[in-house]
Amino acid sequence: MRRVLFVSGFEVRVKGCEAIDVAKPCGWAGKVLQVDLTDETVNKVPTTNYRPEKFIGGVGLSAKIFWELGCPKVGAFDPGNPLIISVGPLTGTYGPFGRGEVCAISPQCYPDELFTYSGFGGMFPAEMKHAGYDSIVVLGKAEKPAYLSIRDEDVEIKDADGLWGVDTFEAQRVLMSDEPEASVLVIGPAGENLSRVAVILNETKFAAGQGGFGAVMGSKNLKAISVRGTGVVAVAKPDKVLELTRAIVEENKKMYWLRSMFQTPYTAPQETKDVFAQRYFKKHYGCYGCPLQCHSIHDIPGMGLSGVSCANWLYAPKFSLDPKEIWEANVLSQRLGINTFEGMVGLPFLLAISLEAGILSRKEIEEDIGLPTPRWLGGTATNHEFLTVLLDKIADGESPFADGAARFTEYFGKKLVSGEKLVDLYKEMYTARGYAFHHVDNLGSALHWATDTRDPVDSCHEYKLNSPESMEHFGLPSYGSYQIVDLNKTVYEGAERVAAWVQDNQCLKNSLPVCEFWSMITSFYKPPEMDLRVFESRLLSAVTGLDMDVDELAKAGERIWNLRRAIMVKREDRTRESDTLNEPYFKKAIKCLAGIATGLVNGPIDKAKFEALKDRYYELRGWDANTGWPTRAKLEELGLKDVADELASNGKLP
Amino acid sequence: MHEVPKSGVLVHDPNVCAGCGVCEVMCSLYHEGVLGPALARSHVVRHPFTAEHGHNVCRQCSSPSCYFACPLKDKAMCVDEKTGATYVDEDECTGCRMCIDACPFDPPRIRINAEKNVAFKCDLCKGRAGGPVCVEYCSFQALKFVSKDARR
Repeated sequence: MRRVLFVSGFEVRVKGCEAIDVAKPCGWAGKVLQVDLTDETVNKVPTTNYRPEKFIGGVGLSAKIFWELGCPKVGAFDPGNPLIISVGPLTGTYGPFGRGEVCAISPQCYPDELFTYSGFGGMFPAEMKHAGYDSIVVLGKAEKPAYLSIRDEDVEIKDADGLWGVDTFEAQRVLMSDEPEASVLVIGPAGENLSRVAVILNETKFAAGQGGFGAVMGSKNLKAISVRGTGVVAVAKPDKVLELTRAIVEENKKMYWLRSMFQTPYTAPQETKDVFAQRYFKKHYGCYGCPLQCHSIHDIPGMGLSGVSCANWLYAPKFSLDPKEIWEANVLSQRLGINTFEGMVGLPFLLAISLEAGILSRKEIEEDIGLPTPRWLGGTATNHEFLTVLLDKIADGESPFADGAARFTEYFGKKLVSGEKLVDLYKEMYTARGYAFHHVDNLGSALHWATDTRDPVDSCHEYKLNSPESMEHFGLPSYGSYQIVDLNKTVYEGAERVAAWVQDNQCLKNSLPVCEFWSMITSFYKPPEMDLRVFESRLLSAVTGLDMDVDELAKAGERIWNLRRAIMVKREDRTRESDTLNEPYFKKAIKCLAGIATGLVNGPIDKAKFEALKDRYYELRGWDANTGWPTRAKLEELGLKDVADELASNGKLP
Repeated sequence: MHEVPKSGVLVHDPNVCAGCGVCEVMCSLYHEGVLGPALARSHVVRHPFTAEHGHNVCRQCSSPSCYFACPLKDKAMCVDEKTGATYVDEDECTGCRMCIDACPFDPPRIRINAEKNVAFKCDLCKGRAGGPVCVEYCSFQALKFVSKDARR
């Protein structure tokens, strides 16, 4: 059965599709909210204007909105940078779907500020949907500190004078005292002061972390977005959804080991873990509607309560094994609104390894960089002294620390005698575009890193966790190991197929949305009985009423990746040459890596073989190998004729 | 006075409740075919900065004032003989709100479905083979069903 669906002038063919009811869509909340803080105008348009049956939600919907805005060539802190917060058709359903995505031009990306994305969980995404919005687009800049108050249809830009300078927890408490059932996205002092590693936070733990989007909010004088929704989202086939939830109940039980692993500082010795488990653990914590609740809440008297999961623990073991110091690092980061991956792992690691490798001396750290040397660097400062100075510097917006590791090393690279070596070290620890090493485990993930705009692995741990069986199930070449592998030993042949598959899948995950924590395990857990792609297509069809089979879903993932690529090409002059990693990855074995991967040897990647791999990747993608640009044939095949026309008029269609 | 049998009841344990809202999602999905706490009978009251979450649901009173207040008693507000729970027959309910005014709890555990103009409340998932859907899906056992015989 084929039906033709007309959506705002476009003719869209969706296999077996029941038309989306613009007034009362199933799965989607129905509206995109556009707020201009400069003009103080509020506009609402039907989500169907953005063809959600093709771009789904999350990063897909946001990319479509950004494209329709013309991909503005402005800086991250320009009022014209649109901050786009989108949820997906599965958000608010029972299961691992309670997430949203923040998309904007990112101040963390280096050297150029690129349009990128960062996912977040918590209560806000579902609440926003209950208020009736699939997407919130914030443009402009408020004249003075403001917050956005949304209660269903009522949207107000309110004065945030009294909240500016207030930490993330306290600001939420104040806003929730006015509207107890609201959920709040907030920035801390780091975001206000335009730190390029500032997060947007919901509650104590749910952050849009990478990208530095907290500073984009700060640049708009926007302290918070408070949302309260008293509506419901319609479901096309409730009985079918109920039936499908049974599988989630079963899968959930298989996930407990992962939740347990991140319940305590998993990189620390057992004694440290035991202290947290026995003395400070309060309860599990997670996103709306999810049975797993994979985060944990701990409460240390006198220091306060907060949520934690993987990266929040990474101050241990290298920097401290003292539970209170580990906790302090986490709570301070959350309250100041700092990306824990940078503030607790990235910069401290860079300093520690610089000192160990003799690149920086204690004198340089103390006198030139201006940090007290902590005990783990052979100094005398307590961790409290070190952390408060470091995190305050990151949050103050003034010091080079506030600009993230890339710009920090660029600054001191010129200033210090050993500056060049510091820059070299940075390039080893930070794989590409200003993002710290994160599972660059094989040629597939190296290629993915090379062709993305940020660290992509937050939402594609498949590279680390794949098994030969699961790779075979999806028709992909196997790396032959679950474990992190040496890039030298990795096959180049077929890595292009793995990367392309994972990229499309990642686009789907971040659009439906499906939690990475689940999909990285369940999609590869005993296929084909539990092939997540099949499950997703069934659930999406039952929720929305659109008959989206596995092929349609795969096509949507590919379409979103191609639209993202078109944005890179149009706005950021992306070419084949810029699809690369920092040069040390092609020159030497990388062993100074952030976080838990320390000690592994990766590479060097053979440059000629990598270029040949890129040739095969572009061919597989249907892109031009000389430029790395998508072709008209591929874009039209994906229903992106308008995108091809626009690229052609920009002289960027091969 | 009309004899009302003792009812089973839902009991919430705030010490283990994660505040995830699964009870709300499953309740609204099962009873109304939609997603959202606005039409859920089971309600989490979240306190993210203390992690002490409350829960509002009908307490299934032994002498249910909502039932006695209903002008269409035994037609609109009825008692399920099997569980003892009071429940609303949507076909009979006129949306007069007398049951809501009579509810001794704050906020009232009966609310109005504005679209249908009928009252709705927890009926312990009357007729559902597995018992209350919120209890079945709560992965922390924060909600428990206490039968009328076990209820003290």
